Amino acid sequence: MDGLHVAVVERRVATLDVALALDFVADPRFGGIASFIGRVRDHNVGRSVTSISYDLFVPLALNQFRAIAERALAEVGAPLKLWIAHAKGDLAIGDLAVVVAAGTPHRDEAFRACRLAIEAVKHESPIWKQEHYIDGDSAWSEGCSLCEDDRQFTHAHSHAAHGHDR
Amino acid sequence: MKTSIVLFGALREADASGAVELDVPAGSTMAELRELLVAHLAAQAPQVSAGLVRRCAFATDEEILHNHRKVPAGVALAVLPPVSGG
Repeated sequence: MDGLHVAVVERRVATLDVALALDFVADPRFGGIASFIGRVRDHNVGRSVTSISYDLFVPLALNQFRAIAERALAEVGAPLKLWIAHAKGDLAIGDLAVVVAAGTPHRDEAFRACRLAIEAVKHESPIWKQEHYIDGDSAWSEGCSLCEDDRQFTHAHSHAAHGHDR
Repeated sequence: MKTSIVLFGALREADASGAVELDVPAGSTMAELRELLVAHLAAQAPQVSAGLVRRCAFATDEEILHNHRKVPAGVALAVLPPVSGG
């Protein structure tokens, strides 16, 4: 797909860049740009979070991002430019964890492409979040299984039922 | 055959080297590989829950290999715990 940028950015090297993402998806044909920015927040499920670490399987994550983009393109049925970037490593509160931007001719297509992409990044890509708490404890987030039997089970139920972020 | 499996997320704690190597009978499926990994970790890393391992998927650098797929020879695999990106 032309007009696609996918990246995994090591936090020690750089922060995610929203302005670059919005520039990248701009196009004379496009009147609609939608973006999603995920930032590290200071609490989860009633616990005070002081920082988080992201572990990624980078080659597969980039492959999945490209496949997600193809799905978004087919789904919106319109010209599309898409930016998907996720941070890796140790992040502080307020750091950017993920940036998705979609440029399309009209707003409905942009919103749909952006929503599809961020949901797929969260639920299908090989990314793992470890939270560090104020009491010194750490825990890996429960997450969403990529195992097909488990997916059939969990997808028959609400995502809220297995307790992860929506 | 020897198959190397790279660990991610919560499973990194199972082996400080970041990977485990299993002896896998030729022709095994990914579902059978998962049970071999459950048994290996039960012996080598009892702090890891078998329930977690049973919710894991396996992948190459390029794709997720579902339960019915055969374990590819001579390819390093990754074990993917439930994901939590974004």
